[in-house]
Amino acid sequence: MNQILLAAITIVIGVVGCLAYFWLSNMLLDRMFPPRGSNAAHNLRVSGRIRPWLFLAPAIFFLGVYLVYPVFGSLWLAVSRGGDFIGMDNFIWMVNDPKFRESLLNNLLWLIFVPTMATLIGLIAAQLTDSIKWGAIAKSLIFMPMAISFVGAAVIWKFIYEFRAEGLAQIGLLNAFVTSLGFEPRAWLTLPVWNTFFLMIIMVWMQAGFAMVLLSAALRGIPDETIEAAILDGASPWQVFWRVQVPQIWGTIAVVWTTITIMVLKIFDIVFAITNGQWGTQVLANMMYDWSFRAGDFNRGAAIAIVIMIAVLPIMIWNIRNASRERD
Amino acid sequence: MRNLTLLCAAMILGSGTANAQDLLFPPGEDDRFSWQSYEEFAANNDLTGQSVAIAGPWTAEDEVTFRRVFEYFEAATGATVVFAGSDSFEQQIVIDTSSGSPPDIAVFPQPGLARQLAGQGLLTPLPEDTADWLRENYAAGESWVDLVTFEGPGGQSHVYGFPYKIDVKSLVFYSPENFAAMGYEIPHTMEELKALTQRIADDGGVAWCIGLGAGSATGWPATDWVEDLMLRVNAPEVYDQWVAHEIPFNDPRVVAAIEEFGWFVKTDAYVDGGAGGAGWIDHRDSPTGLFSIPPRCFMMHQASFIGSFFPPQTEFGRDVDFFYMPPYESHPELGRPVLGAGTTFAITRDTPVAQAFLQFLRTPLAHEIWMAQTGFLTPLTSANLDAYGDPTLRGMGEILVNADTFRFDASDLMPGAIGAAAFWTGMIDFVAGDTAEEAATMIEQTWTSLARTGGTEPVEGAEE
Repeated sequence: MNQILLAAITIVIGVVGCLAYFWLSNMLLDRMFPPRGSNAAHNLRVSGRIRPWLFLAPAIFFLGVYLVYPVFGSLWLAVSRGGDFIGMDNFIWMVNDPKFRESLLNNLLWLIFVPTMATLIGLIAAQLTDSIKWGAIAKSLIFMPMAISFVGAAVIWKFIYEFRAEGLAQIGLLNAFVTSLGFEPRAWLTLPVWNTFFLMIIMVWMQAGFAMVLLSAALRGIPDETIEAAILDGASPWQVFWRVQVPQIWGTIAVVWTTITIMVLKIFDIVFAITNGQWGTQVLANMMYDWSFRAGDFNRGAAIAIVIMIAVLPIMIWNIRNASRERD
Repeated sequence: MRNLTLLCAAMILGSGTANAQDLLFPPGEDDRFSWQSYEEFAANNDLTGQSVAIAGPWTAEDEVTFRRVFEYFEAATGATVVFAGSDSFEQQIVIDTSSGSPPDIAVFPQPGLARQLAGQGLLTPLPEDTADWLRENYAAGESWVDLVTFEGPGGQSHVYGFPYKIDVKSLVFYSPENFAAMGYEIPHTMEELKALTQRIADDGGVAWCIGLGAGSATGWPATDWVEDLMLRVNAPEVYDQWVAHEIPFNDPRVVAAIEEFGWFVKTDAYVDGGAGGAGWIDHRDSPTGLFSIPPRCFMMHQASFIGSFFPPQTEFGRDVDFFYMPPYESHPELGRPVLGAGTTFAITRDTPVAQAFLQFLRTPLAHEIWMAQTGFLTPLTSANLDAYGDPTLRGMGEILVNADTFRFDASDLMPGAIGAAAFWTGMIDFVAGDTAEEAATMIEQTWTSLARTGGTEPVEGAEE
């Protein structure tokens, strides 16, 4: 109860504070450079130049404190120990660590499999749901997993993969299915390489809806003439889809693909909640967490974080460029 | 007349008595409990309206039973206790303390982590008399004092922790009914235990329930096995050297202990769910195998806390009992070693209520109330053994005070990167197929990489 009250107060203070800041600072600026009187023109020009900075200031401040500073803080942590500069030691350790190589390989698998499958399934779902009557219901069903938190989804799927010793009632959906076909139950998440794919399916399940919504909107934006022309020229539905529609929405596909890619590079919750990186499923973000908070070695944790950042950066830049080009 | 006495007591105890009727055992009624210690404590501490925040690793049953204990503190002092139990306590407390928003009291499941935080100045040293009090009142007191004495940020040693709620780990649980039905007898040597394991397999049964799953701590139950076997094939000095990394993790003597564990866990016919299932099955679920009909397993090696996870209405002595994990006949010189562990209370934010709570833990009553429930053992000699909820728990308590050798759980004492990460992963990989040599070498590599960069005291610089 106390916490709800506290949260409510925080929200009120935050919202009122924001409004007050913009209103007061704006008023102050107008007082200092009144757009009236003899200097009106000059004052208008000056205040016009200051005003954007005034409005940007809180955002710049908070981005600086919570984003820019931590980046440099992490960089320093990664090359130091106990406050002393140690150069690339943490990175040399990293390259030699078999768990790091395992994580890197797994991240690569995630990177290839998840965005591809999520985008492909999303694309197909978008096309199919657009052309059926109950498409809206199908769409909302596919989209719904997006509303579940990663940890929530992880818990749900952990039950799907759950294993009980042979002879017991299998409470896991997958093992219940497998045993009903007469096979032996398996502890699925302990089988190397396969288990990484079992984890990736969860992410695909969650992200396909996101891909579908964006791609569906893009598909609707295609001029009908191009499709009609293709049909008149005798193209099959398959050809219309792959040769006419898809090429026209490449931009959106790229944005969807890269957005999911960035999310995948930072993948943590699913692995943490289900296997915690055991049985060869370790990924970079979970390894960073392990070293920072389990081993208490923030320097190595930061070094791993830097690797993740470097990996995300080019894709992020490309994604932003693509998105803004899309808007133009 | 009695009502009148209660009323008077209520008036003396002040506002907290609103709860007094709800207390698990009404004060003054049951003479198994040291009510005098409670009344003295209540008379000396009036903290009406104040509160203390405690964070700990206890969830489910343990959280409930702990609540029943601190309700007495609330009733005695009028203070409020806010307890937050979490499965990820070890990670959470590091974040909370280094970000400057700690609870008042933290309950550490691993003294190694408390040592680390004490070194960073994030813990408050306990009063000077704590060491003497432990020596006098805890059985094998000196070992407990050593366990909770850490170096502070200035390099000076203080007692920072108060051990409370101890687990005995050298236990094998079994069902007396099932043993009787099959004509099995309790083994008194490791050789007999192995023979029994084979005999059960020959009879078409499965000897062991082994569950290594534990959420984000998956793998730790395997470390208990290895440590217990370590104490049974090697001298305690070797064990100490192993913990302190004075011998490498892949020393042949350590590898031998891991291989002994492998003898049990890596034979599909000996383990419920097979070796592959053992890695996955949650240690909190694995006890059900002992109680199923027909039994899916006959024995389970686990610490005393596991009683919290037995099915409700399980009767100790009839449905389930335990025997001491036997030593090797071929190693008579090692005596009867006992492996144990336990939680340590430490003050993360110094307030009068927090100090008072630690004083409360010194009263025999604070131990007896939990002894009378489940999953609690204490080395406190002034606590009445009759308070134990059942004879089995009492038996464990007696093992705790009568061992030839007592050693604390090694993985809890190793650096976090080993004892709470690489050791677990190594054991999971070992059970999944690696050889003991490979697993131990992997752990050793991580450990030497720590030493090279001074990683045993790694958290400095975290706040910069």
